[in-house]
Amino acid sequence: MASSALNPAPLSAFDHLGPIEAFILHEAHLLDERRFTEWSELFTEDGYYWAPARAGQTSPLDEVSLFYDNRTAMATRLRRLGHPSIHSQIPPPTSVRLVSNLVIETHDHEMPACTVRSKFMMFEYRAGVPDGEQRIFGGTYRHRLVVVGSDYRIAWKQAVLANADGRFGALFTYF
Amino acid sequence: MSADAIDAAALVKSDRVHRRVYQDPAIFELEIERIFGRAWVYVGHVSQIPRDGDFVTTFIGREPVLFCRDSDGEVHVLRNRCPHRGAAVCNLPAGNTGRWFRCPYHGWTFQTDGRLHAVPVRNGYSPDFPLDPVEYGLAHVPRVAQYEGFTFASLAHDGAPFDLPPEMRACIDSMIERAPDKAIEVSGGVHKYQFRGNWKAQIENALDHYHPPFTHESTAADDGRQFVRRAGEPAGSPIVDRKARSRSRWDDAEAFAFSGGHGYEGPMPGAEAARGGEVFELYKAALLRSNPPARVEEILENELFHNAVFYPNMNLQLRALYVRVVRPVTVDFSEVNVYPIRLKGAPEEMFHSQIRFLNLTHAAASLIQTDDVEMFRRIEVGLRNEAPEWVLLARGLDSEHVHGSGLSCDGTGELAMRNQFKAWARYMVGEA
Repeated sequence: MASSALNPAPLSAFDHLGPIEAFILHEAHLLDERRFTEWSELFTEDGYYWAPARAGQTSPLDEVSLFYDNRTAMATRLRRLGHPSIHSQIPPPTSVRLVSNLVIETHDHEMPACTVRSKFMMFEYRAGVPDGEQRIFGGTYRHRLVVVGSDYRIAWKQAVLANADGRFGALFTYF
Repeated sequence: MSADAIDAAALVKSDRVHRRVYQDPAIFELEIERIFGRAWVYVGHVSQIPRDGDFVTTFIGREPVLFCRDSDGEVHVLRNRCPHRGAAVCNLPAGNTGRWFRCPYHGWTFQTDGRLHAVPVRNGYSPDFPLDPVEYGLAHVPRVAQYEGFTFASLAHDGAPFDLPPEMRACIDSMIERAPDKAIEVSGGVHKYQFRGNWKAQIENALDHYHPPFTHESTAADDGRQFVRRAGEPAGSPIVDRKARSRSRWDDAEAFAFSGGHGYEGPMPGAEAARGGEVFELYKAALLRSNPPARVEEILENELFHNAVFYPNMNLQLRALYVRVVRPVTVDFSEVNVYPIRLKGAPEEMFHSQIRFLNLTHAAASLIQTDDVEMFRRIEVGLRNEAPEWVLLARGLDSEHVHGSGLSCDGTGELAMRNQFKAWARYMVGEA
């Protein structure tokens, strides 16, 4: 597992950002590199990814979201991303995510688990005929991290775009 | 090019349309005037404004309007424009305005039925300037009509009365009868997406059962089945045809077309697959409380339609349960909203799973729409070629036959598009 190389600090160090930041930057890097399978394996078996369709949305259950994928939905989405005839990905976009302003919002040494808030900007470019399209997304990440064995795993990741309730063209990959 | 110079009838033939109907800005302007300026355009469902003072801001074509409920519970469609200096009065997608709308510019207030309530420092107007509450209120869109809460409005003072074909009313009825309380509500937020392409690409695509195995090929697993799209289904629909088949499985569900450009497609292949599971059983039990058992079996086993299009701008889907609204912005840019529909009286968990699956099928990030909007964009690019001039809509002509008040043909036929353009031409030459 990719994250094992990150050698997380002892649990008592949830208030030390270093290894947590390294993990979150690694997670963003996997998305930039479209290493989706590795990325999805960072999640716990009951983990999920959620991008609400408006800021302040409190539940993904009774209101639509841009993304709300458990591991099953992730697997379906990723199988499609690997399909040779996924027309909206011919050619696939490239993207760069910048993550900063990390803050540990809560930590629970018993679990052990912590919730980390960060800010992100994502630049995306997709070539096309006649012109390519480039877009910028930005917002707030929240990662709920747990420790499984010697690795961090993601219990959930929430990506709230600054314009979560905006109107978008096709969104291809996770923020 | 002026409107008079456009010979709209010459752009539509029985089996093809001219590329200009998707490309020409002058034709788009004429559509705004003669289709969105005259037709019964879908505005919203009354369940979106349940309380007095509730409003939703929306558009009829390019004109911003308020869909609202007044202090006596009456529903109105008002122009979102202050009669004084023209500012849009409401700037939120939806909300409750209380007893009055108030223009932020000079503070004019209006009752929730549009009538002018008060003008600040009125002494600036001479006594002979009466400020009549109706003349200087928020203007009403001339004509408003409803069927089962689905509200349509026409910007034209006169024209054909609101008259949905009986088969289209049956589509709405069949959605409502799936609700144990025999009532539905628009609830659960809205999916919003946009595309570089003409609005007609979306409204045609909703009834295009020829495209799924190709456009959506990437959603099928090796066995040709799509992912499960509804809770309780043992497997997804088989969307890809085996090569040996001489006829597409999508032909089995017929296409239906009726006057006014309206139409629907029969259910997706495999819709008959047995559903099960705890939540489905709860739903079935809820239906049994309001229906005899035989009726419940009918409701669950017979899906009347997959998508139904209420021309020019709305489509209902029975399986995923939503209302989709298309808005023309420019000749090559369009916006779409998809609102979940909740079956009242059905288990909460069923609504939750419906919302979950709707994210996968109709969000801007969904597994389905992303490839559809890619095709709408490709059409916009491809049709920049001046030749060939014509876009083919000939598929299924041979299988057309009379059905009820309209026509039917094999599911992959292009009857729906031919029928939409028949209505389009009537609007565009001023006959409807």
